[in-house]
Amino acid sequence: MVGKRVALSLVLALAVGARVADAAALDDAAERYRPYAIEGIGSALAGARYLRERAAAKDLAGAKKAWLSARAGWERSEVFTAGFVPELDALIDAWPNASSGFHTIEAKLFGAGQTDVGSDADALVQHLDELHTKLRDMPLSPQGLLDGTVRLAYEVGESKADGGESRISGTSLDDMRNNIAGVEFAYRTIFADRLKEVDAGLADKVTARIEQLKTIVAAPDLPHVNVRALRRVSEELVISLQTASAKLGLHRSTLEAQSR
Amino acid sequence: MSFRRWSGIALAIGLLIAGLHERALAFPVDGDQTTLPAKTELNEDALRRPREVFHSEITGRRSELIKLGNLAFSSPSILGNVAQQAGISCETCHVNGAGNARLFVPKMSTRPGNFDTTGPLFNPKADNGVLDPVRIPSLRGARYLAPYGADGRMASLRDFVRNVIVNEFAGAEPSPAILDAIVAYIHDIDFLPNQSLGPAGRLVGKISDSERRGEALFAKPFPHDPGLSCAACHIPSAAFVDHRQHDVGSGGLFKTPTLRNADFNAPYFHDGRFDSYDQVVAHFDRVFELGLSAQDQKDLVAYLTAVGDGAMPYEQGAGAALKEIDDFASLLATAIPDGDKETVALAVDTIGGELRELTEHYPDRKDTSVPGGEQERAAARAALKEVVLLLRRIDMAVGEGRTADAAADYRNYRSLMVAAVPSLLARADRWSLFNAAVHDSHYEALRQVMQSKHMPQ
Repeated sequence: MVGKRVALSLVLALAVGARVADAAALDDAAERYRPYAIEGIGSALAGARYLRERAAAKDLAGAKKAWLSARAGWERSEVFTAGFVPELDALIDAWPNASSGFHTIEAKLFGAGQTDVGSDADALVQHLDELHTKLRDMPLSPQGLLDGTVRLAYEVGESKADGGESRISGTSLDDMRNNIAGVEFAYRTIFADRLKEVDAGLADKVTARIEQLKTIVAAPDLPHVNVRALRRVSEELVISLQTASAKLGLHRSTLEAQSR
Repeated sequence: MSFRRWSGIALAIGLLIAGLHERALAFPVDGDQTTLPAKTELNEDALRRPREVFHSEITGRRSELIKLGNLAFSSPSILGNVAQQAGISCETCHVNGAGNARLFVPKMSTRPGNFDTTGPLFNPKADNGVLDPVRIPSLRGARYLAPYGADGRMASLRDFVRNVIVNEFAGAEPSPAILDAIVAYIHDIDFLPNQSLGPAGRLVGKISDSERRGEALFAKPFPHDPGLSCAACHIPSAAFVDHRQHDVGSGGLFKTPTLRNADFNAPYFHDGRFDSYDQVVAHFDRVFELGLSAQDQKDLVAYLTAVGDGAMPYEQGAGAALKEIDDFASLLATAIPDGDKETVALAVDTIGGELRELTEHYPDRKDTSVPGGEQERAAARAALKEVVLLLRRIDMAVGEGRTADAAADYRNYRSLMVAAVPSLLARADRWSLFNAAVHDSHYEALRQVMQSKHMPQ
């Protein structure tokens, strides 16, 4: 009887120990993700600054190019923006009532063909700069990053039949590619190694689905993206990542940042 | 003037205002990267949708066959690639089995409400090289309305449906079971009830003098051809049709359209050239030299309006969407234990698409045009997304032969959809696009953004 109790205690201790080890390993991995997060927003910030400069010089083509560059950095970062800095996220990426942020500037540059975006570009630079600074010491929890990865994977499967969110600049497909790049990088950097250890088969499924998504959005333009396959694979990836959450010692990710 | 007349005028003014308001808020497909031409209007942002009445529900429950037909009718996957990419199904044009007066596709339509099924967009092989759009017809009462097509070229509804899928929209050859199901569904779409119509299609109840005079004029022989009258073709006792084609001076032979529920079927004539009954009556007066006085014309319009009425023609809100989704999902109760992968895949694909659309009725935090209810909207969105994922799990499980897992997920799905999801949607309703003020503010914001694209540079 005593022996059984000891054995049980040992098992529990080992399980708790393993869980602590898991958590520590994932914390370390999340920390390894930080430079990438800083780099992504840094790239968006550099683009926004260049955009402000080109717009001030009334260089429409240059301002458009800079907007695209800033946008790419932002879209790669959406894994963490909605979950960790929701207020800044709403200011930077408001849609459709774009009184500030990327889409206000997009409408002026790509829609109206105007470069009078001075105050909007100032605000965008300010908000991205604030985020860039925050990222240096903001806690980046593995749970929050998994949640963000799952949510972005779901979002990738949303219909773009109406032209998508960046329809004025015609870059909705680029948004999707950058979103998937963001999902892939977060998964590979933070979760992939640990998942391979605990469930190699599931890790293979996650990787395969990310590869499938990349193939789907490698289409030449939005009308050639197989939308049904995109939605199916995006949902399958979300399900795989939700299954993975328990194996990684994390909570199952919900699909909206404020709904946990 | 009777109360009915006054209320008719008030209704007409109300509808006119509502119509103008909706047009002002129209938000078409746009951007350079869309499958459909820029400025396409599918009317998917409409606040209200036509109400659908099913014949089988009068006497009992809808059969599995009819539900499967409704599902396929709502699924882009039975059509060809362009339609699939654009998310277009039969339902896009025939909203809840009625028409779609606002649908407009550049180069395929000449006005809202008509569409060229032999145009280049969906199947280049079907392109006859002529822009000859036809009005999108309502399918209410279709079982009484053979032959099919505006020109009545097909006696069989089954042949007609197959032609639409395979030739006009470049879909794969549908299985006989799917064709049977779609035909059963269309046959089940009933006319909206009209209390003013008695047996043999006579007006009954509180009928105004004008309507009564209009009824008499409707049956009166034409002065220059006593063998003809309105009622000779629009036979009141036969759903106001005669199943034949006629030349009424509109450029060819076209079948007699029903007048039942026609108040909701504008635009009129085979190509949708007329917006109102006034224009239709004036056309007949001119072409057939009827010699109608201004009062006669008003009386005929009053009569047509009374005949064409229908009870509760529109519905709106999340409840209507959930009811349809519930109907579709009920097919899984038998398809899962049967291991019927095809039906499961069709249901998951179609319902998932509808649930994703429904999710967008609860704008996320980034939509700053919606003030308040952030938590409620997030909860509604999260719940709907979880349901989408449950359905996908079912599809995956059935695909892998894990029937027990699929059955367990289906039970979870049912359990969520019975109470939790409707309750969360109800809590978020006032901040959703089902709320007229939120709807208008959201689409106004979208319209302003898109207007910038079309400003002269």
